[in-house]
Amino acid sequence: MTTLLEARGIAKDFRGIRALSEVDLTVEEGERVGLIGPNGAGKTTLFNCLSGVLQPNRGQVMFDGADIGNLAVNRRALLGIGRTFQRLELFNDSTVREHLLIAERVRLGTGSMWKDLLGLGRPTSDEIKVCDELLDLLGLGEIRDEPIEALSLGQGRLVEVGRALVTRPRLLLLDEPSSGLDREETATLARTLRDVQEQQGFAILLVEHDVELVADFTERTYVLDFGQLLASGTTDEVLADPAVRRAYLGDADLT
Amino acid sequence: MLIAANVGEDVFRAVLQGTPPGAVFALIALGFVLTYKTSGVFNLAFGAQAYVSAAMYFKAKVEWEWPTFWAFFISVILLAPAIGLLLERIIFRHLRTAPAVAKLVVAIGLTVAIPALFELLAGFEAVAGQTPQGILPDGASVFYDPFGVYPWSRNELAQLLVAVTAMLLLGAMFRYSSIGLSMRAVVESPRLAELAGVNSNRVSSLAWGISSLFAGLSGVLIAPRFNTLAAPDFFNIMVVAIAAAAIGKLVSLPWAVVGGLGLGITISLFTTFLPRWSDDLSWLRPFQENLTPSLPFVVLFGIMVLWPGIRQSIDSTDPLSGVDPPPPGLASSARSKRLTNVTRVTAILIIGICAFWVFAKADVGWMFLVTQAVIMSTIFLSITVITGFAGQISLCQASFAAMGGFAVFQLADRWDIPVLLGALIGAAIAAAVGALLALPILRLGGVWFAIATLAFAFFFDSVMIKFSWVGGGDTSLLQGTRVDRPDMFGIDFNNDKSFLLLVIVVFIIASFLVVRVREGTVGRTLQALRGSEVAAESIGISPVRVRVTAFALSAAIAGLGGSLLTIQQENVNYAGNFAPFAGLFWTVLVVTLSARTVEGAVMAGVSFGLFERAVLRNVFQLSGKWRFVLFGLAASQYARHPEGILEYGKGRSFGRLDALLDRWDPRSSRSGDESSSESEEPTVDGDSAADVDGAKTGGTR
Repeated sequence: MTTLLEARGIAKDFRGIRALSEVDLTVEEGERVGLIGPNGAGKTTLFNCLSGVLQPNRGQVMFDGADIGNLAVNRRALLGIGRTFQRLELFNDSTVREHLLIAERVRLGTGSMWKDLLGLGRPTSDEIKVCDELLDLLGLGEIRDEPIEALSLGQGRLVEVGRALVTRPRLLLLDEPSSGLDREETATLARTLRDVQEQQGFAILLVEHDVELVADFTERTYVLDFGQLLASGTTDEVLADPAVRRAYLGDADLT
Repeated sequence: MLIAANVGEDVFRAVLQGTPPGAVFALIALGFVLTYKTSGVFNLAFGAQAYVSAAMYFKAKVEWEWPTFWAFFISVILLAPAIGLLLERIIFRHLRTAPAVAKLVVAIGLTVAIPALFELLAGFEAVAGQTPQGILPDGASVFYDPFGVYPWSRNELAQLLVAVTAMLLLGAMFRYSSIGLSMRAVVESPRLAELAGVNSNRVSSLAWGISSLFAGLSGVLIAPRFNTLAAPDFFNIMVVAIAAAAIGKLVSLPWAVVGGLGLGITISLFTTFLPRWSDDLSWLRPFQENLTPSLPFVVLFGIMVLWPGIRQSIDSTDPLSGVDPPPPGLASSARSKRLTNVTRVTAILIIGICAFWVFAKADVGWMFLVTQAVIMSTIFLSITVITGFAGQISLCQASFAAMGGFAVFQLADRWDIPVLLGALIGAAIAAAVGALLALPILRLGGVWFAIATLAFAFFFDSVMIKFSWVGGGDTSLLQGTRVDRPDMFGIDFNNDKSFLLLVIVVFIIASFLVVRVREGTVGRTLQALRGSEVAAESIGISPVRVRVTAFALSAAIAGLGGSLLTIQQENVNYAGNFAPFAGLFWTVLVVTLSARTVEGAVMAGVSFGLFERAVLRNVFQLSGKWRFVLFGLAASQYARHPEGILEYGKGRSFGRLDALLDRWDPRSSRSGDESSSESEEPTVDGDSAADVDGAKTGGTR
């Protein structure tokens, strides 16, 4: 396996408050990696530094061997970093399928105003086919023409995943996909994600509160606490680490 | 020109000269910041309120011949705060959680409606040459010269002293009274103040009362500067005050004062020194007279573009704002196929009758108005693109339209280029300017984007049109010259019927293209950006590129429409057609009716062109000014119906119609996904079909 994402010495301050200090993190090609930590540990900040929403004060982000630290979010997306959001970020007034269709058009890069004016801007049958296949895979085929406002939270999360997957990411950043979902919905989400991931072979970096999901889903895990890396290693090792249990899990029973 | 003894004395003189108007700017800016911080309203209507007080003062003093004190009392002490309290109580208190842009739209509506309403109720009519008087007798003719450098007139002295006194009183109130303390707490940190049990309604009322009092006071004080009382002049002052407030990022009261004084002094420094420099530097000469009045707009624009801090201050301005609720979907997308058929047939019938009437019966006057309505609909399509699709409020569409008009004129006048070719070139020029303008400002958030475009509109108005290669220079301003209508394909478009056909064809093509853009990559990308910018970027969308595209496209459509208007009237008629105030009116009109559909643009065009004569004069026999009042009322509904009242009304009446059809037609059941996805693809037929339907309901409302 080759290293897909490598973050070195990421540090981020917010008006003097240190959110991240010297965090190192790597994700190999096709790997499933977890990132856990208590509230305010800096998980989402790290995510934002990786996807380009925030600019770290120090440190380097390498993707596929190239320094992407100066690239904007959309440039990183085109290189193959997809993401979902902890608070749903969906496109109002759009149907489920429209979310995927626009992502597919952007990926192909074939759209332009002149084509629109000539009447060539509508979704092509190929684009519709690709999106419908993915929607079926995610179990959203039935509701593909529903307006996004009519969806449940769990379905909304799946739409976000679908929208990210259309961009054919090589690395998918998932920000607390289980928050707001019940146990059953979480299990469905995990199953779907794993199926799709095994089929398409991208890597996943998963920020999660639900330790069960992390234990079940990931191969390796990083633990953040107060902006610092507390532990890292295979998920089993990390979750068994007494320091991690103290800092984060309390006396929770892991079964 | 005076030969000055030395530069130092000139600077001193300029400072003395600039301080009184600066103090008045500071006063309005203070009120502006106060309201902005306590209720989150970007109240452009203070300009209108200042005008109303000035006009009331004029009426009481000159027409009714009241003594100065009582005239001042009724116009400033009574009327000004009363208007502010009324606005707060009946409109803005209910908009606390509305998005900032919605409040801005309401405020613009009031800017137009308040002066018109006052003029109607008070029977006030500005008479040219009737110069307003100051609050001191012989204000313009008695001078004091304490430093032996610059003689202050009594009016200027009154401006300075009253403004400074008002500011000191405000400061004392903040310092020593408990309500002042509460207000300061709200200004500093609204959320914390709420938590500490401060009654924000009371604070907000008080803030509106005080700032409206300041606005009225400023209006009465500054009025003697103008030859004739006219509402747009006061709106200009308002924009200067916004520039002053922007220096304090709109949140700092002391900086607003500094900004106001600073702008007043800077303007007078420019007036003193620019003519001198331009003696040596010939390229400066065209700017000499034009740059000075536009200075506040340049400052405003510059602050917004160059000061990254101003963007961060946005978050703190909306004390109790909630999350924006998503606007309801378009009525057309929730329409069944059967309903579409019914509306389409109705619409074709109505269009047919209207067309027959226009082409067979209408006289020249009606013909002119109908043609203008169609052209305005074309211009309004530009607002459909920038506001409806891209979700940004642009207040400089009139400037783009003017570019088209000037291009046609200049090209025809200088090089005999056919006007229709000129129209296309004009559209291209507007598009290029639009793209250049978009680049620095498109990162600005909603309200700031609007204000930056407003600053540009004023810059265009006060500088650009005075260049001979744009507006023809201030000597002629193209008056008196005619640009001939085209004569092509063997058709003479001097015939009004042929010309109407031509503009209808242009409108249909333009709306076709706009619908195509909406369904195409650009439209869908903008839809994604409107929904969630961060998510749109995360799938690879570049916000910069597509927004520049949208702005350029919108400018091009406006330019095309503007050139058609010029061809129709055979002259640019800049002041009547394209002044910044007009652009403001257009945008709010379209946004209020429905910014997201072609039919919204048509409805706006129809109401702009025909409402006054068809409904107000023929049916109700009312003054044309009532349309401004109605317009303001409609705009104040905007925050409640952000999809536009046309869409709102349509959604409701279609629901009822559908229920009715259901009863008549037992075998039909609302068919499921297929038909709804089909009816979702609005053809131009469908769009214009619904608009006449809308016209019917809108017209009788």
